[in-house]
Amino acid sequence: MLIEIGHFALVLALIFALLQVVLPTIGIIKHDVVLSGLSRPLLWMQFFWILIAFAILMNAFVMDDFSVKYVASNSNTNLPSIFKMSAVWGAHEGSLLLWALILATWSVAVSVFSRRLPAEVLNYILIILGLISIGFLLFLLLTSNPFERLDIVLVQGRELNPLLQDFGLIIHPPMLYMGYVGMAVPFAFVLSSLIRGQLDSTWLRWSRPWTLIAWAFLTLGIILGSWWAYYELGWGGWWFWDPVENASFMPWLVATALVHSLSVSEKRGAFKHWTVLLAISGFSLSLLGTFLVRSGILTSVHSFAADPAKGLFILIFLVIVIGGSLALYAWRASLMQSSNTFSLLSRESGLLINNILLVTAMLSVFLGTLYPLLLDALGLGKISVGAPYFGAVFVPIMIPAVLVMVIVSFLRWKKDTTRRLTGLLKWVWVGVGLLFVISALLTDNISVLLAIFLFIWIVAHSLVLLFQRLNQKGSMSLAFIGMICAHIGIAVFLLGATVTSQYGVERDIKMDIDKPITIAGYDFIFKGVTRLSGQNYQGNKGHIEVYFEDEKIADLRPEKRQYVTGMPMTEAAIDPSLYRDIYIALGESLEDDSWSLRIYYKPLIRWIWLGGLLIALGALLATFDRRYRLRVKG
Amino acid sequence: MSLYLWFALMVITSFAWIIWFLYRPLKSNKINLESSNIALGKQKLLELEQDLHQNLIDEKQFNQAKEEVSTTLAIELQQVSNIQNNASNNTWVLILILVLLPVMSIGVYQYLTPESNMSQPLESAEKPLSLEQSANKIVQYLQTNKNDSEAWKMLGLTYFELGKLDLSIDAYEKSYQINPKDPRLLVEYASMMISATSDNQFSDQSVKLIKQALKIEPNAPDALYLAGMFAVSQRDFVLTKGLWQRALSALPEGSIDRAVLVNALSELKTVEESKNTPEHSVSVRVDVSDKILKSRSSEDFIMIYVKAAKGRPMPIAIKKIKLKDFTGQMILTDQDSVIQNNQLSTHEQVIAVVRISATGSAMRGVGDIQVLSKAINVANNPSIHLKVK
Repeated sequence: MLIEIGHFALVLALIFALLQVVLPTIGIIKHDVVLSGLSRPLLWMQFFWILIAFAILMNAFVMDDFSVKYVASNSNTNLPSIFKMSAVWGAHEGSLLLWALILATWSVAVSVFSRRLPAEVLNYILIILGLISIGFLLFLLLTSNPFERLDIVLVQGRELNPLLQDFGLIIHPPMLYMGYVGMAVPFAFVLSSLIRGQLDSTWLRWSRPWTLIAWAFLTLGIILGSWWAYYELGWGGWWFWDPVENASFMPWLVATALVHSLSVSEKRGAFKHWTVLLAISGFSLSLLGTFLVRSGILTSVHSFAADPAKGLFILIFLVIVIGGSLALYAWRASLMQSSNTFSLLSRESGLLINNILLVTAMLSVFLGTLYPLLLDALGLGKISVGAPYFGAVFVPIMIPAVLVMVIVSFLRWKKDTTRRLTGLLKWVWVGVGLLFVISALLTDNISVLLAIFLFIWIVAHSLVLLFQRLNQKGSMSLAFIGMICAHIGIAVFLLGATVTSQYGVERDIKMDIDKPITIAGYDFIFKGVTRLSGQNYQGNKGHIEVYFEDEKIADLRPEKRQYVTGMPMTEAAIDPSLYRDIYIALGESLEDDSWSLRIYYKPLIRWIWLGGLLIALGALLATFDRRYRLRVKG
Repeated sequence: MSLYLWFALMVITSFAWIIWFLYRPLKSNKINLESSNIALGKQKLLELEQDLHQNLIDEKQFNQAKEEVSTTLAIELQQVSNIQNNASNNTWVLILILVLLPVMSIGVYQYLTPESNMSQPLESAEKPLSLEQSANKIVQYLQTNKNDSEAWKMLGLTYFELGKLDLSIDAYEKSYQINPKDPRLLVEYASMMISATSDNQFSDQSVKLIKQALKIEPNAPDALYLAGMFAVSQRDFVLTKGLWQRALSALPEGSIDRAVLVNALSELKTVEESKNTPEHSVSVRVDVSDKILKSRSSEDFIMIYVKAAKGRPMPIAIKKIKLKDFTGQMILTDQDSVIQNNQLSTHEQVIAVVRISATGSAMRGVGDIQVLSKAINVANNPSIHLKVK
């Protein structure tokens, strides 16, 4: 009975979402404050019913209710309790429910924390968010009902994909969804402004902190996914240019451009067209990502639903959202005329160039992701677009973006001169040049040299900027510290990604017991394999001793698991450190107690995720800047 | 409380929530667009001054920017409409929601839920189905879902519980035809077949299923257990022990199956101790000349077997391996016996045969190379050396 209550709660949530759109709209038209003010309570009730539905579904997983098709398909009694809970979002229907819950959570957060926003503006925003919610709740109820009962009650359920039986699944999807869905908030701010016909300071100022939080979550979601893929898939990689990865990376690039574009628009009133289009495309790309993942177009660990009906629904939704918002944009374009001027060498121009580079980079990813799908759909053959394409196209676009990124912070608003800029930075450039020459003595690898140069370039400029501001009393702000933090995060990421890809060592080897093998200066001694039994798997656990300069530094125990469904899984063993990872994956048993193993030496790989964390931290710091605590009197 | 009472309670709660806020609206923050834009305009001017102080804008541009902020604010204030909001009587909303909320929620729910599902939870919540009813329900379900292997399996289990063994095996067979690669199904089907016989006999079909299950999942404990049971029936206790120990290591600590296996193994030990038949082996070392190796493919097979020195030339015990995997020596024991009743240890004298064959066929073919030993005494556990030149 509880399951039917959960299903009914979802129906009620849909009705509240409808009311959240209809009643406040009537209130706005009739200038009735009571009706328009209902947007908040109606939203809260919508959130409440989605939360109830979510809790009931989670309870069904915990209680092994295999009368529910979704539970029976993704869980069984042997599954550890923690994975029963996270299995709720381990497949299509549940993850859609999580999506709806997160959208409602974002909406509630906007309704509660937007105390400085005029009620009339807030009502419009909540109406837009309500419309998006209607789309997702309809999608859930019509095509992806997680509460569907089975005609016969199974005594045992199937298995949750073993790849997903991991701590990564518990946190990666919720974080990523927080980012994806978070992009709905700046989108709702923009649309509400376009509908009201008032693209004013209020919209620009108050949408930025929400964009920053969404961007921070998107960053965290992506780096968590990368970290999870690294330790769970057993390939030792951290990014595969997989279309699903790209689907989250594209909105991230646009969100990056948007947070910078918003800063210019709110301070100087420039780039309003650009900002509006970025906000629309940010959320549209989030929806496109959902379409790609859920429609079954892509085959990967992320593709839960190979159902054209679901794909068609999202496609229609996508067309309505993109088409509707662009039509609205065209209608209101005349309101965004600005007479504010700036010269070619100015902070505004610098940020604009960076924005264009980021959007171009996004388009290169877009092309590399969709072109093979398009060719396939048109029957023009199958092509594979992977790392070589992105290395050749994406990277060269991002290099000038990174170079310009730190220079912009030194530029003056509206107008600057090259003389002033070179005068200000000449010693920084001399220092960067010297450090680069010293580092060039250490390596002749061009890619690494370039990465070192960019690292020094960013860090040096950021530190100089920091010291400059420290000398100016009262000029430090959380937004400024956040910016420095995020820029250094980019530098750390860049160096980590380049060094690990250039100097990483990968070996597929046969290991005999007690016969040492040396890789990248480390000695590995295979001590054998023991049997392994878990709650829902069996397998083998290898034991490898790792020595460096005759000193034992680690005992690594990689596992090869066989889940009850028969699916094999590799659990890599990692000896992590800030300057390198030793990564071992157990392969197959060979003759005479020998085994095949994959051993990886990954220098600076942790810097990739450390960089990501710094970027997310920077965004969060900027969110809490005092500018967003401005008191407005009624 | 019945389902519809719960639904009614949820609708009433929803209704009460709306009514509450309709008649006690939330307090507004009193901020209007005008005051918001003015406050932001002022802050922008302050920030502009800060930029000037930090040398982020020069004096001339500062003045221009200041003007731009003022102009922008003026435009923004112009755009603000000054229509007064009011709070009117919303009884119509109350009536509309009173009607629409239950009608829409129940209507949408009924539209989305098939009739069978609407009654199912109430049925199952109140009274569990009997086995007979369950079987009928599954049969009904299978009429429209003929390819649901799980459902056929469940039907097989239900029939078995009902004592309808023939129907049970038929259902399992259908499940097997649909999904022949599910090791759990294979083991369950095999054990059902064994249970269906009067004295728990292993048929050829049940043995085939167990082997198939082990091929798919070599360490499946239930398959290993059944395979061990089969070995017991063949009085091959060494094999039984090996299989059950494998099953034991595959089972998690503390499981009931583990306790059963430990018991079975201790019983097996007792049986083994009472068995005094000595076991013998023949060790055969083979040197294959380089010339032969060069002339053969590494994918060819090398077969080593022993046959009786006198009597039928049928192999007694045999081992076969690909040439590329051959290490130079093989030991033949009773476990390698071709027929269970004709074990190596029961023979006094045998002849060892080494054959290199492209096909690996039991019969000697064209191009096969074969070398034979002299007659050897099995009781001495002999170790012999053969050369293939």
